[in-house]
Amino acid sequence: MMILLLIAVSMLTFAAMSFLGDPLFNILGPVAGDTENPENLAKIEAAKEQYYLDKPLPERYARWAGDFVTGDFGVQFSTDGQPPVSGLLKERLPRTLQLMLMAQFLALAIAIPWGVVTASRANGVVDRASTFTSFMFVSLPNFALAVILFYIFALKLDWLPDTYHATDPFWGLTHRHRLVQLVLPAFTLALPGASVYQRLLRTDLITTLQEDFILMARAKGVPKWRVLFRHALRPSMFSVITIFGINAGALIGGALVVEIYFRIPGVGTAIVEAVLREDFPVVLALVMVIATAFVVLNFIVDVFYTFLDPRVRR
Amino acid sequence: MAAADANNEPLLVVEDYEVGFRTERGLARAVDKVSFELDRGETLGIVGESGSGKSVLNRGIMGLVSSNRMIEDGSVLFDGGQMVNRNRQEFWGAKIGMIFQDPMTSLNPVMKIGKQIFEPLRQHLGLDKGEAETRAIELLTQVGIPEPARRIKQYPHELSGGMRQRVMIAIALAAEPEMLIADEPTTALDVTVQKYILDLLRQLQLDRGMAMTLITHDLGVARGRTDNVMVMYGGRVMEHAPTDTIFAEMRHPYTEALLASVPSLKHAKHTRLTPIPGAPPDIVNPPPGCRFSPRCKYAQPKCTEQAPELNEGEHRYACFYPVGTDASAEALEKNMAQGHTATGLKIGLAPAKAAG
Repeated sequence: MMILLLIAVSMLTFAAMSFLGDPLFNILGPVAGDTENPENLAKIEAAKEQYYLDKPLPERYARWAGDFVTGDFGVQFSTDGQPPVSGLLKERLPRTLQLMLMAQFLALAIAIPWGVVTASRANGVVDRASTFTSFMFVSLPNFALAVILFYIFALKLDWLPDTYHATDPFWGLTHRHRLVQLVLPAFTLALPGASVYQRLLRTDLITTLQEDFILMARAKGVPKWRVLFRHALRPSMFSVITIFGINAGALIGGALVVEIYFRIPGVGTAIVEAVLREDFPVVLALVMVIATAFVVLNFIVDVFYTFLDPRVRR
Repeated sequence: MAAADANNEPLLVVEDYEVGFRTERGLARAVDKVSFELDRGETLGIVGESGSGKSVLNRGIMGLVSSNRMIEDGSVLFDGGQMVNRNRQEFWGAKIGMIFQDPMTSLNPVMKIGKQIFEPLRQHLGLDKGEAETRAIELLTQVGIPEPARRIKQYPHELSGGMRQRVMIAIALAAEPEMLIADEPTTALDVTVQKYILDLLRQLQLDRGMAMTLITHDLGVARGRTDNVMVMYGGRVMEHAPTDTIFAEMRHPYTEALLASVPSLKHAKHTRLTPIPGAPPDIVNPPPGCRFSPRCKYAQPKCTEQAPELNEGEHRYACFYPVGTDASAEALEKNMAQGHTATGLKIGLAPAKAAG
């Protein structure tokens, strides 16, 4: 199923990219348009042969797919073809993954206590205030949120560094470490995520709290906080985990605004650059990375379901 | 009465206890000035149809109704301490245990059986994990679960309904409460399993000298397994008497109707069951006078004008024309003659019914 999905995605992308533009311009520059000059024509022919551009679409796809599964992602469609696509991925992907992981971790760390507190006092003052807050975070576009957080925590309070430096070491707790540099962008992504997770968790928790086994737990004298976290939370996590998996995949390619604003050269920016340049192998490779991430994450989510509910195990 | 305990004060003294819920239509009086006593070691069957207030009464006493629309009034003394309008969490599990109707939904589906039994043991008795496990296995053995050491590592869905109800009983009894509330403990179970569970409850209750309220809609369930029976209707007590008395000489027409509406082994084969006509009363706008009068075949004009009070004594009932008296016989005769009761309920076409 998952493999099939990846093949379908790659075929669609491959076809779409092939119908767009002429990669020869990327490889050869303006020369590609000059078919009058025999010298240039020869270059064009050579390039076509080198990149298999003279071959029919299915054959090109088969060649690409064959290379791809062996780990050869090809070269960039640029005048020098450097660095190879895999090199680009190796450089960009870890940054985006670090950002995504931190954002998702923060989102859950915020959403779980927030959802539990609001569900336990549904429609109370705290709950109403939190509904306002969560809708605000969701409706605030992330470039606006980025500016606000940046202004408060980097410029005014100076608690957090304002930009990302790809050359700084990762582990460490000063402004000169990337771990700290990622906190603001991660929060920018985490707050709307946390709001969504909180809404879902709150709704599911309110339903779970109506269950007989919650009444039973209370009747046997389990303290309130323990009823909430030990009895009610786990069966209420399904929606959150489902959206968590989808969101994690989306963040790999979709953290674009945040990456640009905080100057993090990650996958999001790489995609935009590649699409604008019509850099076909790069786009394809990135699409595959994102699609694979989706598939893998959702597989993990499925495994997690069985952990959440033993009845799913067969 | 089973007040054999050294302490002769009743365990539970309920006086004019009321539970209401604010609704859009007005105040719903789910429990309306109910008074009764429960002795130590006594089993009280609380019987009534759905909506009679029997469950709300018990949950209200325990303080387990989680609705901010609820209001309560009156007095409930447990072991001399007032329970009404205060947080009763200290009683939960420790002094009053509770088992619920549906063992399928009342155990946490994602928590192992063992852990669910350990919780009250650790919470109330302060046992460590090893002690709790030993005790849990003892408890499961007491409630008749085979291979208890294996069961504590299983999830509820791996057990049958009857087994789950046994687990629930073990959990409720874990901290050795002085009182057990059994809220329709067998309604969701197979008939074949019901008897075992009821007999087990009665046995455990006697062994431990624990007081118990057994809530049921089936008078037959209370028979032979309770010391006293209290019949409720529309939030009020209709009749309250020692169990033998209730069955031998019931006084309230509702009790009579209730007994006639459920099958019994004592009936001859193919005995026609007599459903109670009409529906339970609207507790927001209850009928004037006696709440049962719209459905009562003895109803007289007086029944719609004023509500009968419960009389004092061992056999309490609230009726102007008690079953088995001349008054009721006359009332029924009169109603049969005119073809309807004072509330307009048509009677007389049904198969012949002897008064009393």
